[in-house]
Amino acid sequence: MNSIDANIVIWLNALSGNVKLFDDLIRVVASDYLMPMVFSLAMFGLWFSGKNPAERVRYQLTMLVGISALSISNVVVWLFNITWDRPRPFVEHGDQLNLLFYPPTDPSFPANPVAVGFATATAAWTINRKFGWWMFAAAAVYGCSRLYAGVFYPSDIIGGAIVGVAVYGFTSYLRRFLEPLITGFVRLIRGLSAA
Amino acid sequence: MNTDPDVVWELFAGHYFMFAFLASLGVLQVAVSNVGTRGLWLTPHAGMTRWLGIAFVLTGIAVFFLQPLWVDGPWAAGSVEADSLTRSWGKASWSELAGARNVNDIHGGLDGIKQAMWFSLGAIAAFAVSAVVGTLSVNIFASAENSGDGDQTDSEANGLAGLESRSYIENLPGSFANFRADIGGVWRSGLVKADRWSLMNVLLGRGGASE
Repeated sequence: MNSIDANIVIWLNALSGNVKLFDDLIRVVASDYLMPMVFSLAMFGLWFSGKNPAERVRYQLTMLVGISALSISNVVVWLFNITWDRPRPFVEHGDQLNLLFYPPTDPSFPANPVAVGFATATAAWTINRKFGWWMFAAAAVYGCSRLYAGVFYPSDIIGGAIVGVAVYGFTSYLRRFLEPLITGFVRLIRGLSAA
Repeated sequence: MNTDPDVVWELFAGHYFMFAFLASLGVLQVAVSNVGTRGLWLTPHAGMTRWLGIAFVLTGIAVFFLQPLWVDGPWAAGSVEADSLTRSWGKASWSELAGARNVNDIHGGLDGIKQAMWFSLGAIAAFAVSAVVGTLSVNIFASAENSGDGDQTDSEANGLAGLESRSYIENLPGSFANFRADIGGVWRSGLVKADRWSLMNVLLGRGGASE
């Protein structure tokens, strides 16, 4: 399993260095800022996108669950990290990889950015299937860009995706234990004319 | 050369806030123009507001990723490929621009918590700007075209629904009055409907008491 993982990342990373424009695009997509901003903007935009009061409340409650899932997935990834300190691909196969990103110092499994992206995408998918699929695609592209850059193994990406989706499911379930606080919070924001 | 993480954090925080503000403003304008929340539009026309929103998003992305070309930071030409701690301080070259922002958070980049904080501030600022400009736009537009027509708004609507026909300032008192009038009922019915093991039912000593 480990050798398949390593072979995939080495093969994919070997494609780098041929087309500078493509490598530069991957550097921007893989950065800590672009795709997380896309996920945050998706949550923010959906908050205002309901076409009638009922739809608006449904969107806003789902966005709150999505934002909570995003935070909880960071905690779950941290729990994995303290349990299993998996070295990054560039640590184990540095002589075969062309690193396109700064060398992260935290463990490789599961991919934190992918977990966050998939948690957000699942939230979007539950209220708008088409938009949700686009968000899943964005999260997958983000993961693949980190794979191409040589900082994650494929299994880290898959693990991150599973964590993101599972944490969203768990957070949706958790919401019922926090009612009526969450509905009350949305009503307060509506009282301020922002929901 | 200056690679003090605190100095880099400050630089990144300012740039990221501007990125979050412009992009949030853009997305907000696209969203509210699609659903007709006129009280938050920056212009009186939906189509123009939508295109302005798209322009804000693209401007935010472009400014954030192009800034290393004209602002000094930990991305001086010739140093971007190095470990983010040992980079030189200065302006980036075009060829290194794509990697200029890739600075580890332990070397001054923004970690997830800081990004969440600055994004929230940027989004709140974007909403505030939309509310202020929208109020001016609604009042100027209404007084220019509808003076003397009387109040044609839906007085029952509040929150974002009320902003479809009123400015933020006009809508706020009614929305808040509705919140104060409704919240008691919402809270009580919410407690009844909530799972018997919900946090509030447990704290109030009602856990397991329902049914």
